[in-house]
Amino acid sequence: MAGRIKILVVDDEIIVRESLIGWLKKGGYQVDSAEGGRQALGIIDEREYDLVFLDIMMPGVSGLEVLKELKGRYPQTLVVMITAYGSVETAVEAMKNGANDYLMKPFEPEQLTLLVEKLLQQKKILDENALLREQVASRSRYQDLVGASACMQKLFNLIEEVAAVDAPVLLRGATGTGKELVAKAIHAKGPRRFGPFIPINCGAFPENLLESELFGHEMGSFTGATRAKKGRLEIAQGGTLFLDEIGEIPLKMQVDLLRVLEQKVFHRVGGTGSIPLDFRLISATHRDLAKEIEQGRFRQDFYFRLNVIELEIPTLKERGEDIPLLAQHFLDRFRRETNKPVAGIEAAALDLLGSYAWPGNVRELENAMERAVVLAKGRYLNKRDFAFLFRGEAPDMPFSLEEMERNHIGQILKQCGWNISRAAQLLEINRTTLHNKIKKYELRPSK
Amino acid sequence: MTIRFSRDMGVLAVVPLGPIGEMAVRITAANLQAVLEIPVDILPAAALPAHAYEPTRRQYDAGRLLEDLVRICPGGYGKVLGVAAADLCIPILTYVFGEAQLGGKAALVSGWRLRGAPSGAAVPLDHYYERLAKVALHEVAHTLSLYHCEEPGCLMNFSPTLDDLDRLNLMFCERCRFSLRDNPWRLREVP
Repeated sequence: MAGRIKILVVDDEIIVRESLIGWLKKGGYQVDSAEGGRQALGIIDEREYDLVFLDIMMPGVSGLEVLKELKGRYPQTLVVMITAYGSVETAVEAMKNGANDYLMKPFEPEQLTLLVEKLLQQKKILDENALLREQVASRSRYQDLVGASACMQKLFNLIEEVAAVDAPVLLRGATGTGKELVAKAIHAKGPRRFGPFIPINCGAFPENLLESELFGHEMGSFTGATRAKKGRLEIAQGGTLFLDEIGEIPLKMQVDLLRVLEQKVFHRVGGTGSIPLDFRLISATHRDLAKEIEQGRFRQDFYFRLNVIELEIPTLKERGEDIPLLAQHFLDRFRRETNKPVAGIEAAALDLLGSYAWPGNVRELENAMERAVVLAKGRYLNKRDFAFLFRGEAPDMPFSLEEMERNHIGQILKQCGWNISRAAQLLEINRTTLHNKIKKYELRPSK
Repeated sequence: MTIRFSRDMGVLAVVPLGPIGEMAVRITAANLQAVLEIPVDILPAAALPAHAYEPTRRQYDAGRLLEDLVRICPGGYGKVLGVAAADLCIPILTYVFGEAQLGGKAALVSGWRLRGAPSGAAVPLDHYYERLAKVALHEVAHTLSLYHCEEPGCLMNFSPTLDDLDRLNLMFCERCRFSLRDNPWRLREVP
């Protein structure tokens, strides 16, 4: 057991370093050492350590600075701060910054043994947790959908149930939530999975073109129809037809489609031959169709025909706990696609992503991750790599520092939904200071 | 039981350091010889070097004593054990019962803290000699590249307190015995 444990000792005093290394080696641990903070930061990137003994007071890069970097990059590594008599305050500060324990040198032999045993036990539990998280992560992938949150797990179960039956499904969800991926998952899990999956964005075509796209046309049926063409309804035979943005379909087309769905046959534009309907229908919209019906823009009978089974896709904000998982998923993808040596995302950057509102949902996160990976300068994506998310709303840069501060605080508060603790954490000031600033700049939540 | 030593086996030197009872040294040497099955020579006593004394801690730095042992040990002895009565420490620890160079030449044991009993009185001499022998065997085994062992009762189990030390048997576990038996040092360096 001990032989597999890798320990790093960081201390500028050679006698302390050698004495601790000697003691640990007798325990059979694999031990490396660094004589300063800068060297330690280099070493931790080359080899993974289970435990780091870190002296607080070192010239150059201090133990506290190393601790922050280390915990940001490798939160799983346990850190014991070594402090001299009389510097307990610094040790307390280190504990606040994520150190797992501290030792005041010289220490009792029993104290050191018990501490190492306790921490290695803790490490074992952390590693087991990481393994379990990996197992959860593997369960958190369903077809191309990613999500470990309760609402996504519920959705995956619903997809499983819905896929087995051939009834029409209506997917409701905001832009960028992944409605097409859900439709593809239903198709892939259903009995028609060996048939084609044919998507069409109903909002992307003018009325006359949409008709031809859906139903196809015979040669000469209208100007420019130089040859016959199969429509999506025909191409989708045996498979699934996915009508995206169904709320954008003009009323006349709604009638045509309703008739087709009821009669189970259709014919091409300009054609006379009936073609039997043989596909599963999945439609999707970001609109509130009940309201559209009230306002006369959507036919109720068509709505009932589409809405045999309705699935609601949660927004990214509703499943904020999935953000780290999704960020990692996109990071892996873009790292492969761009060949950039980005190893991970710092914890602070993940916090920042968690605090953002994500109006564009998963698609916006996907784009943000792509941009961050492409422009990344370091091995780890940090807060600065995602600063662009918070800049978009202030195109006119103010000149005075005070005005800049007011705007920035206002923007962060807005992003955090006026959660003072969260905003204070992001701004790296305490809550009292933030309250004072809010009072000073007379900031109010917008209605 | 008579132990037969091969002519070409390594020999361990035992050096009394400072004022330590002759009986303590002889018993320690006898235990080393019996348990490790290696020839042991007791060398003339040496003074505790002043440069190893830490006045602020009023203890001797075990690391410096080990360096000194290597220096004063006559040629031909592959390993050397110092037996002292003084209190020992290392820079990171407030005290140690003994110290050794892992896979190196020198080991050290101190009787300073081994007389104590939970009641505050001293333990009987035979108990004290047994503790001394246990620490000596543990430290010498470190010079033979043995690590701490997790097997309860094994001499290589790390024992930071007297209670821990008293729980050990005066023998190595099967695995540690195997490592000791196969140690290449036992077949070289003859004085």
